[in-house]
Amino acid sequence: MTEEGLPEDDSPAPSRTSRILVVLAATVAVLLVGGAGGMLLTMSQVENASPPGPDSVDVGFAQDMRVHHLQAVTMAGIERDRTDDGELRAIAFDIESTQLSQSSEMAGWLTVWGRPGLPDPGAGHMEWMSEGGTHEHTDGHGETSTGAVQRMPGMATAAEIDQLRGLTGRKLDVLFLQLMLRHHQGGLQMAKYGAEHARTGYVRNLARKIVQSQQAEADAMTEMLAKRGARPLPS
Amino acid sequence: MFSLYETRSETGMASGTKSKGKPKSKGAVKGGRSRSAMSRPKRPKPWGMIAAVLAVVLLAGGVFTYAFMQINEKEKWIASEDNKDPSENIDGVVRKEYDSGQHVTGEQRVAYDQSPPFGGPHDQAWAACSGVVYDRAVRNENMVHALEHGSVWIAYNPDEIKGGALDKLKAKVEGQPYLMLSPYPDLDRPISLQSWGHQLKLDSADDTRIDDFIRSLRENQYQNPEPGGRCDVDGTGFDPTNPPPFVAEAPDEKTAVKMDGSGAIDESQQEQNGQQAPPMTSVPAQPSQSAPAASTPPSQ
Repeated sequence: MTEEGLPEDDSPAPSRTSRILVVLAATVAVLLVGGAGGMLLTMSQVENASPPGPDSVDVGFAQDMRVHHLQAVTMAGIERDRTDDGELRAIAFDIESTQLSQSSEMAGWLTVWGRPGLPDPGAGHMEWMSEGGTHEHTDGHGETSTGAVQRMPGMATAAEIDQLRGLTGRKLDVLFLQLMLRHHQGGLQMAKYGAEHARTGYVRNLARKIVQSQQAEADAMTEMLAKRGARPLPS
Repeated sequence: MFSLYETRSETGMASGTKSKGKPKSKGAVKGGRSRSAMSRPKRPKPWGMIAAVLAVVLLAGGVFTYAFMQINEKEKWIASEDNKDPSENIDGVVRKEYDSGQHVTGEQRVAYDQSPPFGGPHDQAWAACSGVVYDRAVRNENMVHALEHGSVWIAYNPDEIKGGALDKLKAKVEGQPYLMLSPYPDLDRPISLQSWGHQLKLDSADDTRIDDFIRSLRENQYQNPEPGGRCDVDGTGFDPTNPPPFVAEAPDEKTAVKMDGSGAIDESQQEQNGQQAPPMTSVPAQPSQSAPAASTPPSQ
């Protein structure tokens, strides 16, 4: 009301239109800036109520750990199917069923979060572990980096898997123990990072369990290798 | 998002909201303040102001559009209740409906209606689909079963895709769950992508639609009959290092299993073969009553 008494009268008609335009434009600008800010914030998932964002530790951990677990399931399945050693069949069956179940659990989270169940094709792995650029990890070739890697630590090559499939007896058991030990130790890095940095409680909980059980299994497999007169592969 | 949106826009909106009701007076106040101080009589066009506002609008519009596109680009490939088939965003995908769960034996062949096939009756043993690169062409009946489990099969014509192009495809597939790569002799295009009920044929390993197809359909819960089914084959009899070979010749029309499943070993037939056949030989007159008869022998 008081504003109406101010110098409205001395504004001639033509410039009034332009003022309206200016005000309208300013309003649109303010709305756009607000909206854009809001959308950018959504993208960087600041809110706690929303599911973990596409670049979050939670999503990266679940997607990459699924890939890592599924290879352990493959290797354990080969050993379970082909070994003559009851002790090894038991640990292989244990690893196969536990990691398959955990992989499915993580797939369920990703579905509920509305995220892809597996890493984006061709995008590499473990970029989520370089949060803030201060953390380093070691890739499959023993190189330290903070970005994405093509092969996660501990992952076997296709040739190694084929080699495992072609063996029997003690040779099969030893190579299985070597590959699975390296696989477990490689996975520990990711699991430890997830246990510390994931935002969601149940993600940290599963990551902690993976750290505990894989550490125990790694110790057991180290002993089994020694018992068979063999050594672990270089990590 | 909204809480921040509001706090951020509060200062700017304080005048903006009022101006909605009385745009003229509000504009007058703003203009009056700045211009009356400078030169009241002349009133030159506030080009600087206009340019500044325009710049802000364009910048904000750009940011807004970019943010929207980014979110949309990521979301549109994720299968969900509202987006059951993200591959609808891809040009050239062929879709067909197939019944699942019809199995054939290792000796049987299926008269597939597509080449390469992407659905229909299939061998009981699935091809290994845990990021496996096959150097040789694999029997269709096994590959189709792996599609049923939610995998994506990249087939290529070995005469056209080799060297660097083949390396690109191998790098995409090797060790990545629910992906398979295999040569397919005499394929009518250099590359063909298969998911259950979906096919996309392409010319180049650099085509970005390859990744879009994988994003859209691999393990897609709405398009695959058994997403999350095993890709490992140990115990099934399928050996990925020595897979059953691809057969180029069309199957014999008389003995081949049809696309509608006739000739396949469905459950009712398995029952006939496994359970009812032995009683039929011993009690030929009453095959349908063989089970109750066996459980109550005294009454007869």
